[in-house]
Amino acid sequence: MAVASPAPPVSEPTAPGLSAILATNVREAIARFPAIGKLLDEYAIHCATCSLGTCRLQDIVDIHGLSPAQETTLLTRLAQVVLPGVTVQIPQLPRRAAARAAGPVRFSPPLRELVEEHTVIKRAIAMLPVLAASLSAGVNDVSRRQVQELLAFVRNFADRFHHAKEEDLLFPLFEDAGEIITSMRAEHEVGRDHVRAASAALAAADAVTVATHLQAYATLLMEHIRKEDEILYPWMDRALNDTQIGRLFAAFREVETRFGDGPAMERAVVTRLENEVGIQKQGERQ
Amino acid sequence: MSKCGCLGAQAMDFRKDAPAAGEEVGPVASQLRQWPIQLHLISPNAPYFQGADVLLTADCVAYALGGYHGSYLKGKSIAIACPKLDEDQTEYVEKIKAWIDEAKINTLTVMIMQVPCCRGLLALAQQAVSQAKRKVPLKYVIVGLQGDILEEAWA
Repeated sequence: MAVASPAPPVSEPTAPGLSAILATNVREAIARFPAIGKLLDEYAIHCATCSLGTCRLQDIVDIHGLSPAQETTLLTRLAQVVLPGVTVQIPQLPRRAAARAAGPVRFSPPLRELVEEHTVIKRAIAMLPVLAASLSAGVNDVSRRQVQELLAFVRNFADRFHHAKEEDLLFPLFEDAGEIITSMRAEHEVGRDHVRAASAALAAADAVTVATHLQAYATLLMEHIRKEDEILYPWMDRALNDTQIGRLFAAFREVETRFGDGPAMERAVVTRLENEVGIQKQGERQ
Repeated sequence: MSKCGCLGAQAMDFRKDAPAAGEEVGPVASQLRQWPIQLHLISPNAPYFQGADVLLTADCVAYALGGYHGSYLKGKSIAIACPKLDEDQTEYVEKIKAWIDEAKINTLTVMIMQVPCCRGLLALAQQAVSQAKRKVPLKYVIVGLQGDILEEAWA
């Protein structure tokens, strides 16, 4: 059966069971039953707009930390979408983490560290569209240096330093958790492709291509970081036990030692570029 | 009412809230893996503290919290103390620092009661963590007088 084809008329003997649709990835499930996307939106689960959508539907309940009552209601309504008019037994889905507690998320020290690093990365990303726009008149010495410095920050801080913690230390604790980790790693790779392409275009003084990849990278990473800060990390924090938190924290200290002053210097580059870009913007108004 | 009038010593009667006889469970296995446990008596370099997840518990917690052994003590090494009544608490700070710097513990969890005086134990731990050379994750758990978890978070 072509999974992306329009939803066929559902008749009870041939309809896919609820468990089957729960085992399907989100993109396929929404393609078959578009109402599922709207239903998930009601629970602030915005998988319909995910760039990959490869997570299994049944994992989403766990990852988004729905309460048991919310889970039952969602699955009941999901069953009504998939098997209208059919009474089905609502399963209790396996969970790796507890439901999300009320109130603001309070991260453990290692996850808090990653979120703090995201704030620096987001500051750098916020400059990318500005730099991309400044390239519209072509690549000059100033814009070339600024883009080179920002791309170096992305490679050194965001990719080598930050992603070393994520990809080498945090993600391996969840490799058996389904598609979610595969999806996040895939987005890192897409980001790397944009950085490589922007660097190559900069070397060729191809301002349009540089701007295109800077903008695409900024869009990708802002959404990627939002997913990590708001969904992935809170879920991971709920799933990790104290021993794992302590070991992760210690391993992060080793990463800090290995990188020495590098990350602090990269942070300083972002601050300096922010000042430069700010001065540039002021100069443009004059 | 206690002479000092603080909540920590105020008499309260919870008998009407106690579970009925039928709700009680049978013998529960102890999760204690060491002796001694009083913070003045323990050696911070004892083998069971090396690289361990350590639980520093206010004396009253284990009496208030029904699931203490299974939910919190399991898998951890422990010391107990009372920040209101124990003497020479400077030594407590030094022992916690020794856990961190010498025994190289993995995490430190401080469990206290909700009464104001119990905050002193968390303050002691925070002081030791800030003075230690190594850094470890510090978690705190605040237990209500009738055994409910009021707050559990990483500091």
